[in-house]
Amino acid sequence: MSFFGEVFCSEIIGKSVLDPKGEEIGKVRDLAIVKGEPLPKVSALIIEKKKKTFFLPWTDLNIFNKKIIAANVYGDSLRPYELSEESLLVVRDILDKQIVDVNGAKVVRVNDIRLEGLNSEAVLIAIDVGVRGIMRRLGVERGGEDLFKLFKKTLPYSLISWNYLQPIAPKLTKISLTVPRQMLSELHPADIADIISSISQNEGVNFFDNLDVETAAEALSELESDVQKDIITRMDSERASDIIELMPPDEAADILSDLPADKAKEILEGIEKEEAEDIQELLGHEEDTAGGLMTNVFLSFSPGMTVEEASEKFRVQARDIETVYYLYVLDKDEKLVGVASLKQLMLAEQDCHLADFMETNLKTVAPEEDEMVVAELISKYNLLALPVVDENGYMHGIVTVDDIIDILLPPAAKRGRRKV
Amino acid sequence: MKRFRSLLIFLSVMGPGIITANIDNDASGITTYSVAGARFGYSLLWTLIPTTVALVVIQEMIARMGVITGKGLSDLIRENYGVKSTFFMMIGLFIANLGTTVSNFAGWAASMEIVGLSKYVMVPFGAMAIWILVTRGSYRVVERILLFACLLYFGYVMSGMMAHPDWGLVFKRTVLPDVKWDNEYIYLSIAIIGTTITPWMQFYLQSSIAEKGIKKEEYGASKLDVIVGCSITDIIAFFIIVTCATTLFSAGIRIDEAAEAAHALKPLAGNYASLIFAVSLANASLLGAIIVPLATAYYICEAMGWERGVNKTFKEAPQFMWIYTMIIGISAFLILLPGAPLVFLMVFSAVVNGLLLPFVLFYAISLVNNEKLMGEHVNSGVYNYVSWGTVVTIIVLTTFLIVTTVMPLRG
Repeated sequence: MSFFGEVFCSEIIGKSVLDPKGEEIGKVRDLAIVKGEPLPKVSALIIEKKKKTFFLPWTDLNIFNKKIIAANVYGDSLRPYELSEESLLVVRDILDKQIVDVNGAKVVRVNDIRLEGLNSEAVLIAIDVGVRGIMRRLGVERGGEDLFKLFKKTLPYSLISWNYLQPIAPKLTKISLTVPRQMLSELHPADIADIISSISQNEGVNFFDNLDVETAAEALSELESDVQKDIITRMDSERASDIIELMPPDEAADILSDLPADKAKEILEGIEKEEAEDIQELLGHEEDTAGGLMTNVFLSFSPGMTVEEASEKFRVQARDIETVYYLYVLDKDEKLVGVASLKQLMLAEQDCHLADFMETNLKTVAPEEDEMVVAELISKYNLLALPVVDENGYMHGIVTVDDIIDILLPPAAKRGRRKV
Repeated sequence: MKRFRSLLIFLSVMGPGIITANIDNDASGITTYSVAGARFGYSLLWTLIPTTVALVVIQEMIARMGVITGKGLSDLIRENYGVKSTFFMMIGLFIANLGTTVSNFAGWAASMEIVGLSKYVMVPFGAMAIWILVTRGSYRVVERILLFACLLYFGYVMSGMMAHPDWGLVFKRTVLPDVKWDNEYIYLSIAIIGTTITPWMQFYLQSSIAEKGIKKEEYGASKLDVIVGCSITDIIAFFIIVTCATTLFSAGIRIDEAAEAAHALKPLAGNYASLIFAVSLANASLLGAIIVPLATAYYICEAMGWERGVNKTFKEAPQFMWIYTMIIGISAFLILLPGAPLVFLMVFSAVVNGLLLPFVLFYAISLVNNEKLMGEHVNSGVYNYVSWGTVVTIIVLTTFLIVTTVMPLRG
């Protein structure tokens, strides 16, 4: 059977299906879909007659458009159909549900679905998320057009191509395409966090499972701590380890400290030894102190290095380090003796030594100092990061300005989400 | 140690139930209780016990649904019953809540007049303040103001104490029904249930629980939150009835509005009792005027899939902002418009609320028994009979209330 042109799902549902003699064999109740290349396609119509449901394969259809649907089989040869959770049905599983528009980076609701003929198959080409879709479902699309005309406006079509959609229900992820998955990794982590916080917990966990490890690690740090905890707890430990390993150690430690001890241990065991040690060290500090906020990954140099040597070392090491705007100069005993900014390094002569221009009047904070004191110091001296140094002058790590901002202002996802 | 742990869980989960229950006592609720107390003394106090039970049964189901599905009620109705049912329900909710907001602004205007401030100044001021607070203020400020406002409800407990009631009689009337076969008596006893169990609060409670992300394991604490909240609602109602019964009923003063009660209290219970009553009414009205429009805008947008959120701009979330602004604007305007049909509007809104409630409860109980959504957390055997019984009783009573509102039987 060939199907050309386009049709909306709401125009099909409830329509009579005729047999070759023009007798009605039932009314369309739903459309079964399967994964197809390039788009999901309709595999059968689920039709209803006298409260019974029947299965009408796509291949048994003769005519399929918004005016007439006709089969080339008769009513008595139809196979009865049990609605099962296994199959995917357009009305039951997609219509009215929420779905992620990857292109617009937001969650939308499916008001209607557009089908299009492609190589004699009907494929799901787009969803309607606009007022027009709602009006069509209510049967007043014409009236809506007229009303808009009255105000000299046109009723807009708000269609989103299926290419840009990522379903969030576990069942539907089977038919999701590769394109949105790739696009997901290009989304800004904060947008992903926004999406996750505007859907339910279960859906959020499922959505998160679709992200690749790098994107997941970045998105995870943008989420609220109880959402983080939820997602990690429900994930298998191996994937959790992979994700946490990619996060900056201070954020990893924050997440692990919120988890039950045995789960945290299991995850830590799956992380590479060096990374795990960094995290373990941070776990020893109280959460709301400088020690609890700091990361122990920073750039350290010796005072005798020349600018050229330092730049070389910077290029090699800075790749894997989150905050690189200050160069911390440590002596042989790992004691902090000076700080140079990246700007100073860039502007200094190549043969100059770090000791010649580094700042020696140091602003530091003790590991057990309260987070508010840290915030005040960072604000007072306009710093991007503050070194954490104990009473013996030994440098433990740095607290960066983004961690302080998160304390002063709750994460964006949190503010947007809670309502009264 | 174990007890300490469960206390901690309760404190972290606490909130939605208690806040919902408090806001439930808005201007129209307070009016009903005041009128009931002034007209029939202590003899309607007993109705509060079955009302509390019904409230707990309903709210518990709603809360359970919020915890297990993590979704709001309008979300679930849309996903399971399609766009048509949802659309008409949302239109109903909009009209009903517009009426509720009008009665809240009316309560605000009346209480301000008692304190001696002109409503032509205070209503625009209140409306602007609410609008600015929500659209421009930070979420934290809003939440703190709301929690503080919830505390002010205890003003009613104080004015109840100041009235010096005969506690023995009060207790007796609370546990022993004193039924009078009088049309007004029956009307008021049903009105007490009608004003306590409203459609919008079911939506509000479920969303705020879903938003808070309460987990299955913490459901016990959430249940306690709901029970405590429902009890607080009716304790406040109890003290309002006691205040009006002790003073106004004994003195034979009839009232039609909560503000009249505050006024009439002055010679009977003293300036302070009157002032506290008026301030509490102002507080309840304003709180209702903040939450109801906001909640309405939120559910409509949730159901229709529009952008929503208080930190969005008109450009980002036009429908949300316009619905919110319109409800506040229209309500404030109607209050100030001389000769506006306020009474008609409030009666109309009560009728729409009453028409809506059976559908909301029916959808809610069907959803809570949907195994696909709730899994093992559907209503258990016996409890299901209790909840169906409650739902059917409330539906019958509200239907009766609508009929008598539309065709008053006085005599």
